[in-house]
Amino acid sequence: MALLEGKDLSKFFGALAAVDQVDFQIEAGEVLGLIGPNGAGKTTLVNLVTGVYPLTRGELYFEGRRIDGLKPAVIARMGIARTFQIVKPFPGMTVRENVVVGALFGKGGAQRNIKTAFEEADRWIEFVHLQDYRNDSVDRINISFRKRMDLAKALAMGPTLLMLDEVMAGLNTKDIEEMMALVRRINRELKITLLVIEHVMKAVMGLCQRIIVLHHGRKIADATPQEIVQDERVIEAYLGERYAKARQRSA
Amino acid sequence: MKNKKQLLIAVLIGLGFVVLPLLIEGYWIRVISSIFMYGVVTGALNIIAGFAGYAAFGNVVFFGIGAYSTAMLMLRVGFPWWGGCVIGAILAAFFAVVVGFPVLRLRGHYFAIATLGINRAVEQIALDWGSFTGGGKGITLPLPQMEIQSFYAMIYFILFGLLLLTLLTNFVIARGRLGYALRAIRDDEDAAEASGIFAPSCKVIAWAISAFITGLAGGVFAYWFSFIEPATVFDIMIAVKAFVMMMLGGAGTVMGPVLGAFLLELISETVWGQFLTIHMLILGTIVIGVVIFIPRGMLHLFRQRFSLSALIRNIKNQSI
Repeated sequence: MALLEGKDLSKFFGALAAVDQVDFQIEAGEVLGLIGPNGAGKTTLVNLVTGVYPLTRGELYFEGRRIDGLKPAVIARMGIARTFQIVKPFPGMTVRENVVVGALFGKGGAQRNIKTAFEEADRWIEFVHLQDYRNDSVDRINISFRKRMDLAKALAMGPTLLMLDEVMAGLNTKDIEEMMALVRRINRELKITLLVIEHVMKAVMGLCQRIIVLHHGRKIADATPQEIVQDERVIEAYLGERYAKARQRSA
Repeated sequence: MKNKKQLLIAVLIGLGFVVLPLLIEGYWIRVISSIFMYGVVTGALNIIAGFAGYAAFGNVVFFGIGAYSTAMLMLRVGFPWWGGCVIGAILAAFFAVVVGFPVLRLRGHYFAIATLGINRAVEQIALDWGSFTGGGKGITLPLPQMEIQSFYAMIYFILFGLLLLTLLTNFVIARGRLGYALRAIRDDEDAAEASGIFAPSCKVIAWAISAFITGLAGGVFAYWFSFIEPATVFDIMIAVKAFVMMMLGGAGTVMGPVLGAFLLELISETVWGQFLTIHMLILGTIVIGVVIFIPRGMLHLFRQRFSLSALIRNIKNQSI
């Protein structure tokens, strides 16, 4: 049984099909990549899974239980955590307080005790190497730190499935390396299943065992990274029809 | 170490207020009592508006409900004043839960406007249901059977006790799970829900607590003034003043709202008592001044040691 399964997922905004009849599965323990051009429906898919938007059509199952129609907080407490493409920190709080929110609520309603929740938060702050900044106000740390804080907050929730929405975006090469190392540890040491949305191809190729490609809301490919880079439809979606045709002619 | 010192100062200030009635005259006892009352109303507002960031301008409706419930229960059922206050506060909290579930789905200005509408609606009921509430003429409560001086001293201590209760409630909320949930909701409600916070119930609980305390204050007010009318106890200016006090002291902090209440009420008694006609002008100037110079309140400014650079930084941040 897949950890997360989407059947015939569709989401329409008016006449626009943001996600269109997508079937997909995430197996427990894997790192699944989700790529596609801007506006392909990647973040919408995450918003469907987390219950932010109701489905127009389709069914969602997590650990065999149907989750579509549930409230975001209920889904979060079942063990699905996410980070945000545009990070959404709690600006009135310190780094530590941000992370403690994840520990206080999170999976199963998590910690009811403030003290143990703070200990938990400190563990995750160290995990993402932010211990020197834990008492800083969020608006005083840079984007790379905010992304890591968002990650620590999601980890403090104790999720089974973690969806990372462009955690590499806006980072420099060195920060990307560090973030990739973190993501690997999350999957291998913490045994957390990951869905990774990413535009940084080096990261997607290096991290994912399998990749799903969305284009205009439809799933156009679902294969290993090696197969994906060879796929004509994917190349066409990413690099344009003309480039793909030119490539076909020369081949 | 620092906490011990703060606690000592707090205890000393508290003791100061306990012995104060021995030293001051009737007028000042009433002024300080009124400061306490505003401290309670502002501290209650802080729970929903300061922590959760929901601008409940109509919070005064709970004050009115508390006041009218106390009046009705004393007059029509023969309850003692405190019984009326407690039942009134429970009714206010219940009302907050009933209207809270639909209304707290609104965000930002829409919520603020909706609460204003609710306040007007309840005020209208009090006005039109004259046979029961006394309508626009108002209603006189049974007078206390004691000497006026000791009555005012009693009110002073009741309100002081309520203020301590309000502070304690704010303190417990700020340190607990609910406080973190509310602040997360204030900062980013979507991210809060994604973290597993049941935003609707947290907001309703916060509003009910806020309503309960505001209702208590309204009940004591009715007993204290022994005459109430809809225009007084549903007066939106009570909520507006509470907002100014909360922002002046520091929204979302434990001590800030009470500090703001003290500052503004003292200013109001000593300064604009002399300028009755431009009273609103002064209030307006204070609002603008707070927003520009100390958007995070006096308490935040104290923490930055009142430095000039902190003030300048606040002004600079405005233009961004």
